Amino acid sequence: MRGVVPMLALGAALAVGSWPAAQEKTAPEKTAPEKAGPKPPSANDWAAVGKLPDFTGVWEMSFGGGGARGGGGRGAGRGAVPQGPQLTATAAAKRKELQGQVREDNQTANCLPPGMPGIMGQPYPMEFLLTPGLVTIVIEAYTQVRHIYTDGRALPADPDLKFHGTSVGRWEGDTLVAETVGFSPLTEIAANVAHGDKMRIVERFRLTDPDTMTIETTVTDPDVLTAPYTTTRTLKRHRTWTIAEYICEENNRNSVDQNGKAGVNLNQAGPAKKEQ
Amino acid sequence: MTRHQSAPTLGALLVAVLVMIAIARAGVSAHHSFAPFDMQAEKTISGTVKQFDWTNPHTWIWVNVPDGHGGVETWGIEGMSPNFLGRRGWTKSSLKAGDKVTMVIRPLRDGSKGGMFVRATLADGKVLLPTGDPTEP
Repeated sequence: MRGVVPMLALGAALAVGSWPAAQEKTAPEKTAPEKAGPKPPSANDWAAVGKLPDFTGVWEMSFGGGGARGGGGRGAGRGAVPQGPQLTATAAAKRKELQGQVREDNQTANCLPPGMPGIMGQPYPMEFLLTPGLVTIVIEAYTQVRHIYTDGRALPADPDLKFHGTSVGRWEGDTLVAETVGFSPLTEIAANVAHGDKMRIVERFRLTDPDTMTIETTVTDPDVLTAPYTTTRTLKRHRTWTIAEYICEENNRNSVDQNGKAGVNLNQAGPAKKEQ
Repeated sequence: MTRHQSAPTLGALLVAVLVMIAIARAGVSAHHSFAPFDMQAEKTISGTVKQFDWTNPHTWIWVNVPDGHGGVETWGIEGMSPNFLGRRGWTKSSLKAGDKVTMVIRPLRDGSKGGMFVRATLADGKVLLPTGDPTEP
């Protein structure tokens, strides 16, 4: 409440244009209480979090520990490129057309975050936070955050379209199963593979040892994929790490234009720095 | 193009290559593509560090290279991010203005004075690589 009074006073001051006078004359008004939300977590709720698998901490994908399978299975030889998603005829034709346009890069070169599922495959760590009813993933790449609600709520029937969609999760034994729907049209299933309105992503997170996590991600999309597209990634825990700042616009010299042409900007050394 | 003298060990190079293959296999999506760079070519430049940008999404090393006519031309070399490199032994002082450096790069395809960092050798023989296993601080 202490913070509310100066805020109200500031609002009044801005409206009247005279800060000290407004401050004296504006009596603190009672604000309407926010719509009643869920009960605050109890000590028991916090104790229950302590019994969940120990996900809390900083994790980074370990290279070589993953790969995609879209029906190809484990038969792919060593060094083989992971089999990509299996596409409907329309989606395959679209991908061929896009590939034919020699699109050299995508919008991440301009610092637009990739969204789901690409944001989970970055060469940067992620921090998992477990609190009552919620798993929060703080993603270093592009400074992103995901919220997976584990409080029993249902997925929205008509979700707004988001880069990370809307996620709910449940614990199946030691596995966190997250389901996500409602993705921005600016995200892709894979390079040159746009998703449809019905894309759904199921992720299964579990510890295979105290410092190793696997995430099995299955994408279904009846308008684009003829079979579920599953990738599995392995992450290692780094107990002494913290998440670092990542402001993509700080000194981004890469770009892609409307025609898909990639560029590099070599003008002026340094981000708004004096010459040395 | 001349090969510089104090090459990194074969083991270090092997690690670098294996990491790049592993990154590709794991389906890692990076900030940008390699399209502007000639990833098949290697070019070696030698000069003096003008400035080292310890910035996201990429580090940039600006090097003054003698132009053969008594002057210098400034090259811009793109490296991995400070977040990535900082967990692999680099610091914001790994390169300092005034350092003499020989650098191997993947040159820009359009011939402008820039490229992607492969490795650098400092005057004292120390070699900087962009990859390796992450370390705990």
